[in-house]
Amino acid sequence: MALNDPQWGNRKNGGPPDLEEMLRNFNRKLSGFFGGKGGGGGAAPGGVGGGIGLIVAIVALVWVGSGFYIVDSSQRGVVLRFGKFTETTQPGPRWHFPYPVETVEIVNLSQVRTVEVGYRDNERNKRPQESLMLTADGNIIDIQFAVQYVLKDPTDYLFNNRMTDDKEVVRQAAETSIREVVGKNKIDYVLYEARGQVAADTTKLMQEILDRYKTGILISQVNLKNAQPPQEVQAAFDDALKAGQDKERQKNEGQAYANDVVPRATGEAARLMQEAEGYKKAVTADAEGEASRFKLILAEYNKAPQVTRERMYIDMMQQILSNTTKVMVDQKNGNSLLYLPLDKLIQGANPGSTQLPDLQSAMRQGTVDQQAQQPGADSHARENALGRDRSARP
Amino acid sequence: MKPMTVNILVGAISLLVIASLSLFVVDQRQTAIVFQLGEIVRVEDQPGIKWKLPLVQSVRYFDKRIQTVDATEPERYLTSEKKNVMVDAFVKWRITDVKQYYNSVGGDVTQAQIRLMQTVVSVMREEIGKHTIQDVVSGSREKIMAVLREKTNADAKNIGVEVLDVRLKRVDYPSEISNSVYKQMEAERKSVANELRATGFADSEKIRADADRQRQVILANAYRDAQRLKGEGDAKATAIYAGAFSHNPEFFAFYRSLEAYKQSFKNKGDMLVIDPNSEFFKYLKKGAGK
Repeated sequence: MALNDPQWGNRKNGGPPDLEEMLRNFNRKLSGFFGGKGGGGGAAPGGVGGGIGLIVAIVALVWVGSGFYIVDSSQRGVVLRFGKFTETTQPGPRWHFPYPVETVEIVNLSQVRTVEVGYRDNERNKRPQESLMLTADGNIIDIQFAVQYVLKDPTDYLFNNRMTDDKEVVRQAAETSIREVVGKNKIDYVLYEARGQVAADTTKLMQEILDRYKTGILISQVNLKNAQPPQEVQAAFDDALKAGQDKERQKNEGQAYANDVVPRATGEAARLMQEAEGYKKAVTADAEGEASRFKLILAEYNKAPQVTRERMYIDMMQQILSNTTKVMVDQKNGNSLLYLPLDKLIQGANPGSTQLPDLQSAMRQGTVDQQAQQPGADSHARENALGRDRSARP
Repeated sequence: MKPMTVNILVGAISLLVIASLSLFVVDQRQTAIVFQLGEIVRVEDQPGIKWKLPLVQSVRYFDKRIQTVDATEPERYLTSEKKNVMVDAFVKWRITDVKQYYNSVGGDVTQAQIRLMQTVVSVMREEIGKHTIQDVVSGSREKIMAVLREKTNADAKNIGVEVLDVRLKRVDYPSEISNSVYKQMEAERKSVANELRATGFADSEKIRADADRQRQVILANAYRDAQRLKGEGDAKATAIYAGAFSHNPEFFAFYRSLEAYKQSFKNKGDMLVIDPNSEFFKYLKKGAGK
C-alpha cells in the first residue's frame, strides 16, 4: 500500500472506504489520468454525431464498469498498473482502471491450507520415500505429519517466488526441515519423549526457510500424525514398550507381595504376644488356684493325716477303676499263658471308634475328646507338664 | 461533419496500432530483454510500461522470481567410510543477470535447471565423500548445505543465476542396506526389552526378599518376646507352687501323684490288667476268704 502515488487517493487509513469516497476517488483518478490531454476530453463527442457518440459512450461505460471487483473479507486485492505493483486493496467493493491499464489479482489470505507429508489423504495411504528417515543414532523412523499454513503477505506471495503450486514449496520445506530435526535427535527422543518438541522445531525451521525466500507463507501448525518405527521392526519396538510395562508390573507385584506379607507378619507377631500374655496370666492364675487349693487341703490333712491319706487313695482308685476298662487276672492261680485280645477289648469299649482310625488312635492316648469336651483339660495338661518340671527338679 | 468523424476514427485507430506495436508492459515478476534484429539492445528490469521501436525491436520476458529445482530421484553417493547413501536436494535460484542467462542457456529454464543440478550433484559427491554418514544425517548437515550453496552459487554466476539455497531433503540408506539396519534396530530393541524385564525381575525380587526379611525379623522378635513372657509366667507359677507345696513336700508328692493317676487313667479305652493281690483289693479278698 505504501507504494501509492501521492496524487492517488488515500487508502492508508485502513478500513474500507464508503462508496461515496470511492466515486470521488474514481473521478479524481479519471481527471488525473486524462487531465494532461487538455480539458473536456470526456465530453468531446458531445454535440457531434448523436449515434456514434452514444455507442462510444456505451463502450466507454462497459469498459469503465469492467474495473469493478469485490474483495472478500478473507482476501486481499493486489493491483498492478502496467505490470507494476501499486497497491493492496482491503475487503469491500473496489474499482481499478480497466484492462490494459490496471489488473488486479485476488489472494486468499486467511484460508487455511494443508500439506500432507508422508501420506496422502489418509494416514494409511503412506509414501514411504517421504515418511522414512534417519535419526541421529542411525535408526530409521516412520513419520507422517500435516502442515497447516496461511498466507501472511499477498505481495510477497505473488512476486517473490515462482510457485505453480504453493503446496509443493511448503512440502519441500517440510521435508527438508523434518529430516534435519529428526536427524539431530535420537529415535527414542522422537518416538516417546518429545513429539511436541519435534513438531515445534520443524515449524520454526520451516518458517525460517520460507522467510528466507520471502514466500509470504505463514506456517500455523505442524501436526505429527504418526511417529513410529518402520513396519519391519514394529513388533520389536512394541515388545520393548511392553517390557517397560512388564517391569512396572513386576515391581508392583513385588510391592503387592510386600504389602501382603509384612502386615500379616505384624499381625502374627501381635497374636504371638497376646497369646504369650494370656499364657502368662493363665499359668499364674492356675498356679495360684492350685496352690490355694493345696494349702486348704493341707490344713485339713494336717488334722487327720492317716485317714485323709487313705480316703484320698481310695477315692482315686474308685475314680480310675470306674472310668476305665479293667481285666482282673490272678497270676498266682495259673502259670499257663494267658491270652487277652486287648485290641478287641478296646474296640468293644469304644463302639464308635472303628469308623475313624485317626480319632481312634487319638482317643487311645486319651486326650483329644477330653480336651474338646472339658474346658479344664488345658490346665490338666499343663499340670502334667508342670509335674514333669517338678519331677526334674531336685 | 461526416468526413471529420471518419478522420477522428481513423486517427484513433492508427494511434492504437502504433501504440500496441511500440509499447510493452513489464510485469512486477518479470525482467525483459529488448532485441533489435537479434541483438540485445537493453534490459528492462523495472516493471511498468515501456516503449520500443515498432517492428524492428522485439521483447523477451524472463521470470525474475525465485524458482525451485527439485531432484526427481535420490542419487547414490559414497560417504567417507565408503558407505552408500541416497541423497536428494532442492535448489532455490533466480535470474540476476538476464543477459548472461540468455547468452549461456538461451533463456531456457529447463536447461538452466539441468545445469544447476549437475553442479549440485558433483559438489555433493565431493562433499559427502568427505563426511561420514552420521555427519551427513545430523552433525554437519547445515555445514554441507552451506558449502553446497556457496560452490553452486559460484558456478551459477556463469549462467547469470544466483543460488539462494541448496537444501538436502532425503538422506537415506539404499534399500538393500535398510534391511540390515532394521535387523540391527531389532537387536537393539531386544536387548532393551531384555534389560527392562531383567531389572523388573530384580526389582521385584528385591522387594519380595526385603518383605520376607521383615516378616522373619518381626516374627522372630515376637517369638522372643513371647517366650520371655511365657517364661515369666512359668517362673511366677513355679514360685507360687513352690511356696505352697513346700509346706509339706511329702503330702504334696502323695497328693500330686493321685492327681496324676486320675489324669492318666480316665477313659474306657484305658485297659488295666489288675492283680487282685494288690493293696486296693485286700478287702475284696478278705471278704471272700471269710
